[in-house]
Amino acid sequence: MPPVLAFRGVSRLYRTAGGAVLHALRDVTAEVEAGSAVAVTGRSGSGKSTLLHLAAGIDEPSSGEVILAGRALSSLPDRARTLVRRDAIGLVFQFFHLLPHLSALENVLVPAAVAGDAQGPAEERARALLDRLGLAGRAEDRVQQLSGGEMQRVAVCRALLRRPRLVLADEPTGNLDDENGQRVMELLLAVAGEQGATLLYATHSRELAGLAGERWHLHSGVLERAA
Amino acid sequence: MRTALLRAAGKELRASRALVLLSVAGVALGVASVLSIQILNRGALGAFEGGVRAVSGEADLSILGWTGRLPEDLLPEVLGTPGVGAAVPLQRVEVAVEGRPGPFDLAGGPAAPQAAGRTGRGSSASPSTLTLEVVGADLLAPLRLPWTLPRGGVAAALGEPGWVAVSPGIAAEAGWRVGDAVAVSSGSRRVVLRIGALVDFQRIAPLASRRLAVMDLAQVQALLGTPGVLHQIDVLAADPGGAAALADRLQARLGERARVTTPAQRTVEAEGLLSAFRLNLTALSLVSLLVGGFLVYAATQAALARRREELGLLRCVGATRGQVLGLVLAEVGALGALGTAAGIPLGWLAARANAGAVSGTLRSLYLLEGIERVELTPGLVALAVAVGVGGAVVAGVAPALDAARRDPLALLSSVTQQEAAEAGAGWLLAAGGALLAGAAVVSAATARWPPSGFVLAAGIVAAAPLAAPAALRVLARVPVPRRLGVRWGLRTLGARLPSAAVAAGAVAVAVAMLAGITIMVASFRTTVVRWLGATLRADVYVTTPSWRRGRSEATLSPRVLDALGRAPGVVATDLLRQLAGYAGARRVSIAGVEAGLPAAEGRVALASGDPHTALRLLREGAVLISEPLARKAGLAPGGSLSLRTADGERGFPIAGVYYDYGAEQGAVLMDLRTFAGAFGPGPPTNAALYLAPGVDPEAVAAWVRAALPGDAVLVRSNRTLRAEVLDVFEQTFAVTRLLQAMGLVIAVAGIALSLLVQARERAGELALYRALGATRGQLFRVFLGRGVGLAGFGLAVGWPAGAGLALVLVRAVNPAFFGWSLRLDWPLATLAGQGAAVLLAAALASVHPGVRASRTPAAELSRDAI
Repeated sequence: MPPVLAFRGVSRLYRTAGGAVLHALRDVTAEVEAGSAVAVTGRSGSGKSTLLHLAAGIDEPSSGEVILAGRALSSLPDRARTLVRRDAIGLVFQFFHLLPHLSALENVLVPAAVAGDAQGPAEERARALLDRLGLAGRAEDRVQQLSGGEMQRVAVCRALLRRPRLVLADEPTGNLDDENGQRVMELLLAVAGEQGATLLYATHSRELAGLAGERWHLHSGVLERAA
Repeated sequence: MRTALLRAAGKELRASRALVLLSVAGVALGVASVLSIQILNRGALGAFEGGVRAVSGEADLSILGWTGRLPEDLLPEVLGTPGVGAAVPLQRVEVAVEGRPGPFDLAGGPAAPQAAGRTGRGSSASPSTLTLEVVGADLLAPLRLPWTLPRGGVAAALGEPGWVAVSPGIAAEAGWRVGDAVAVSSGSRRVVLRIGALVDFQRIAPLASRRLAVMDLAQVQALLGTPGVLHQIDVLAADPGGAAALADRLQARLGERARVTTPAQRTVEAEGLLSAFRLNLTALSLVSLLVGGFLVYAATQAALARRREELGLLRCVGATRGQVLGLVLAEVGALGALGTAAGIPLGWLAARANAGAVSGTLRSLYLLEGIERVELTPGLVALAVAVGVGGAVVAGVAPALDAARRDPLALLSSVTQQEAAEAGAGWLLAAGGALLAGAAVVSAATARWPPSGFVLAAGIVAAAPLAAPAALRVLARVPVPRRLGVRWGLRTLGARLPSAAVAAGAVAVAVAMLAGITIMVASFRTTVVRWLGATLRADVYVTTPSWRRGRSEATLSPRVLDALGRAPGVVATDLLRQLAGYAGARRVSIAGVEAGLPAAEGRVALASGDPHTALRLLREGAVLISEPLARKAGLAPGGSLSLRTADGERGFPIAGVYYDYGAEQGAVLMDLRTFAGAFGPGPPTNAALYLAPGVDPEAVAAWVRAALPGDAVLVRSNRTLRAEVLDVFEQTFAVTRLLQAMGLVIAVAGIALSLLVQARERAGELALYRALGATRGQLFRVFLGRGVGLAGFGLAVGWPAGAGLALVLVRAVNPAFFGWSLRLDWPLATLAGQGAAVLLAAALASVHPGVRASRTPAAELSRDAI
């Protein structure tokens, strides 16, 4: 079975205002198998977020190719990349990025609104996900009324709503206490697994990284496979 | 520290070019509105004052007739009064120049029925006839005249028939040179004048009319005016310090036959005449400034939201509250200064563009001189600076104080403005309601005070924007749309209260003004059309090109009257005489008409009183008074009107009050015989012909013109006259429309500003949508929805407020301030068209912010992005 996501010799350079060149990623080559869970570890600034951004088509590599479901993202125009992201990827962010003026349920439904999905089935699925993540009673609450752990669970529901093939999570527990972090991560892994989604997540935590089937380590932009 | 703070402010201004540009545009348009109106107001008074100075020069006093005329034998009495150093007799006659269009001459006159020979005054020259005001002076008088004639000029002026000196300005405009013959008419008389010299009146008084011309008094009396009659005697006191005492002595000696005034008193009279007109325009222009203030407020708020953390850091490292306040106000002041710099030339241009329309109103409605030139004085520049910079600082004070008041941690914290705005929406709504209720109470308590209606109108205008946040908040309860697009943008407006409410409030104010004034003007127009229909019954109207401003010299000659009597198909002729007189100290237009004509009562629309009885009383020596006069002087049928007649003050019973929309200061109507008894015999100034059924009015008009080839007459059919009246009506409101448009442009700029703020402040949210797979087109549509939604909310709040405003304008302000009652009309199609235009303008204003928003990269997501 072909990999869901592949990095082929991917490098990403940034130029500072002073003209200096920063290597966020250096010649990364790796693959993520369908249905697997991969944790990316590394220090701050090691390139974890850059790797995830490239995988999501939010950023473009300076060289090399990012291949999602057999298609090279960098060869696609912006609109096509956007649609790939919409239809194939679910994103979970460290800082949740929920819309404060919407309820928990409405936040979960945002991807459906973006894609123009039918309201009824989408809402049914959103409620099921919220239920699955223990938030059935908070569906109508505004997100400002939720705790950090609850917010991140809402964000997980949002990421999974449209049954993406790939879920990318950037430090999904970085803004939570240990207990909540552990719980959210376990739920994310479990539900992604139930959905058959592939999960690639970045984390500082060795413990949380240990929950994944595969671990990658980034050091100054160089990818090393961890044992 | 101060340098660093100022540098930060400069950086902020440079970094937010689009926001700065819109704020500056808002201030500029607000300043331009106020400044243009002040320039026009000043020009209107300046033209009058300039005319006084150019004609009367160093004279300490002017003696004027209560009925416009003075008998010549008054001059020896004046000269014989102790303390009179010199006296110059003057006769001033308006003449129409044949075949010359006039640039500002719009004196077609909206008071057409008067021109028709019935109610008071009104239409005169065709809308484009150039007229001169010829001043006949005793050129040998011992008083030094304010102007000098060229060498040999006096001898020529006295000796050459038709010798006239004109201003270089009018000569250049008309292409005249010394020696040229110019055909003019005074009443139906045609006369050829010869340009004898050029006299620069505007060197003496820059705002004086270039239409002034000078002739020898005797020549004016013989050729253009009336022999033995004067219009004015200018007096120089022998003792310059004794002018006041001399005025008293002269007044005591002349008694009821004349009034003695100083140049300053005459200017004050003109100010009084124009006060309502000027206040009306000033109030309207201030609304544009208010809407501009909204923009500055919004821009300041946006800048502070963006720099909240920076300000918090500054406070942490020791910046005082005063320094933060100073920094913000300095920024706002800079915006105001930039806006003022742009607004001053814009205001001047707007004034220049509207001088013609305002001049038309001044001449036709107030019988004053039109604006000669628009002048930007240092005082007006200072006013513009005060209004622009001061207004901007006032608009920025609230957000600046809010930022300065907060402690450093609060500035650094994540407490959002949104929360504060949501909490404040209810309070603002309550405050708006309280403001409106307070204004209503004050207005009701001071109902007899004419400006009380303005208090209520101001309350409505102020309350409208305060309702905007609460109205927007309702959106948050609307279900989230199924798709990310226009409706989504609309739904999420409530989530953007701080910037959205200000923009919606600005649109609401502008729409309220737009709708209110539109309804008022439509009501006025409908009223005038109905009034014309009810009172304009004759088939053909005859007047002269120079008939204007109540000058009784512009009369129809016996030959003209004879021809009219012979015109085919004429069954009745209605004659009118009119003059500008005084009811007590109030200047009014007085007209004499044929009250004995069959069915005469059908030609006057009475506001109170029985038409049959009123006409009978009119024939018996009573008078009808116009509605504005009745309201302003507190008169009613059954009472008595005191008029200054040729024989002194005399009381006339009031038979009724009639509708009149031509003379704001008031008008009086009496039978021709009563008129002759009060003011002396004389020829008519206008005639109206009633034709037998089936006779073509245009054919009769053509017949009259053909029968009078040597006479200056204007012959118009009923239909033509009506069209001219309505044309002038539209001109009267041209400035109003410009001010409405400026207010609306500022409001639409406010929408663009609000959306730009959102595109910038909410980049995180946009990036999230992009990260979740939203296309650029979707984000553009979200912004389009927000822009159109803001306009929609502006309309939703502004329309009811506009309807309320219209009610106040129609039911309270117009009757109390101008004296006329209007029939309320709701121009729904026009309002709907305006609404569509506002929505379209908002959609266009959303394009640039929408494009910018759509370019937000998904990678923009950061920790504090949402």
